[in-house]
Amino acid sequence: MEGIVLALFVCLVLAIITKYLSIPPIPFYIIGGVLLGKSGFALVTSDEISRFFSQMGLIFLLFFMGLELKLERIASNRSAVLTSGVIDLNVNMLIGFVAAYMFGFSIIESLVIASAFYISSTAMAITSLIENRKLMMREAETVIWLMVFEDLVLIIFLAVISAGGQNPLIFLLKIAGVLAILYAIAHYGKEFLISLLDRSDELPILFTFGAVLTTASVSMYLGVPETMMVIALGAALATTDPDAFEQHARPFKDVFLVVFFVFFGITINLAGGVNMVMILSISLLAVVSKFISGLLTGIFIHESALAGIEIWGNTIGRGEFSIALAALYGSPIIATIIAAMVIVTSLVGAFTGKYCTGLRKWMAMPGRRAPHHPHTGR
Amino acid sequence: MTLRSVNLPGVGTKYEFETDKGDTVAIFFTKTGTIQMYTLQQGCRTPSAAEMTPMEARRLGNILTGAIIEAESESVEIAFSALADLRITIHTYLIQKAIAGKTIEDLQIRTKTGVTVIAVSRKDTNIINPPPSFVFETGDAVVVIGETDQLKRFEREVMVD
Repeated sequence: MEGIVLALFVCLVLAIITKYLSIPPIPFYIIGGVLLGKSGFALVTSDEISRFFSQMGLIFLLFFMGLELKLERIASNRSAVLTSGVIDLNVNMLIGFVAAYMFGFSIIESLVIASAFYISSTAMAITSLIENRKLMMREAETVIWLMVFEDLVLIIFLAVISAGGQNPLIFLLKIAGVLAILYAIAHYGKEFLISLLDRSDELPILFTFGAVLTTASVSMYLGVPETMMVIALGAALATTDPDAFEQHARPFKDVFLVVFFVFFGITINLAGGVNMVMILSISLLAVVSKFISGLLTGIFIHESALAGIEIWGNTIGRGEFSIALAALYGSPIIATIIAAMVIVTSLVGAFTGKYCTGLRKWMAMPGRRAPHHPHTGR
Repeated sequence: MTLRSVNLPGVGTKYEFETDKGDTVAIFFTKTGTIQMYTLQQGCRTPSAAEMTPMEARRLGNILTGAIIEAESESVEIAFSALADLRITIHTYLIQKAIAGKTIEDLQIRTKTGVTVIAVSRKDTNIINPPPSFVFETGDAVVVIGETDQLKRFEREVMVD
């Protein structure tokens, strides 16, 4: 228990510093964890309680993702979401997979690394757009929809990978059953839920916490992946009053997710001999591969490679979802690689988010290359 | 001028419109609670941005509707377009020495001008729907409701003397 208190205190200090410098906190939580854990000063070890807290962090992260997932909105923006999403998926998955496979990982391991390699941090991308005042740029909308597409891919990935080994028909039936129940509750209990959320006592927050926990444990009992089911719960509850649920779930998410990140760092074991060349090359490749997909997206969507620099600059950072994949499916070595990649890309991303507009202007300067025509297609 | 509003997942709501002269204004209500306003001059490539708290944004809104007259007395006009374009204005005034010590009844505010005093803010307390016997003090901020013409009469006949 003292371990968690110490870890949380370190995180609090880190959070204050990173907010003050306006840089993403996730890499620092992980670095803090590594220093506290067995690879560092061995001050904190993970135990039953910390594992439960970390699990909560992961579950609430996914629940939040579900709340944001408004399928009808995605359907109305299909073409914009699809083109950029497919480029991003193909380029990054392919590069990540080939790189991991060439370093000698098995196909399944390479797939896990490739997925973590592919999925950018939604939190970092959106914070970068807001804090660097880029929301009005046309590329901002592309970046936002890219994040939505990546979330969808993550859900499909979670479904596919957790189905492995089970009878697919029974598995699908189970999932369909739980989904039907969740949507039925959200649909028929809508009025009741909204009146419940309107109260100012402890009921709304208790209900939110209870609903998420119950869904997670019932799905574990039924043998369906709890990760998918909490996303589904979020999506189902989003049909009632998503803002209220976000408001009540946010404190749990914020605290437990920090515990999740720091204990992810604590459990990283660097003693087993790590191939620094491999870690560094995958991390650098992660920056380069988003550059390639960004340029292609810029060319295909905005008809300008320079627009791609803006997309690249805001999507480099890998974060919460990569760590989640590593925690769920990664071996210790994979966890180390992904942690390093998250640290490198999120720090590079924080920098490019601030300066890529300047870089883009410099690239567009006359004399450096053929003058770029100001966007005429408005 | 066409106003376009989009809900951006994870970010918030965006409102954008192009003016007749070709400039673009975009407002974002972000989930973090702040409001960002961007303006892009026609022919320019980089917008300029301002970030505001909800309070600051409301203030800006009041200025843009042309309602603010001076910093400490401001007004809000509410238009009900469905009710034959019914317009009601709520205006705040600071009580000057001349009418301090008088009651609402003494000043015959409603009969003379048609406006109604709906609230008085005195130091840190607010009095909602003050009775006719309410005595004004210097420095009270009064909130009155009425039509624009009635408010003008109020300014002429009650506030100035």
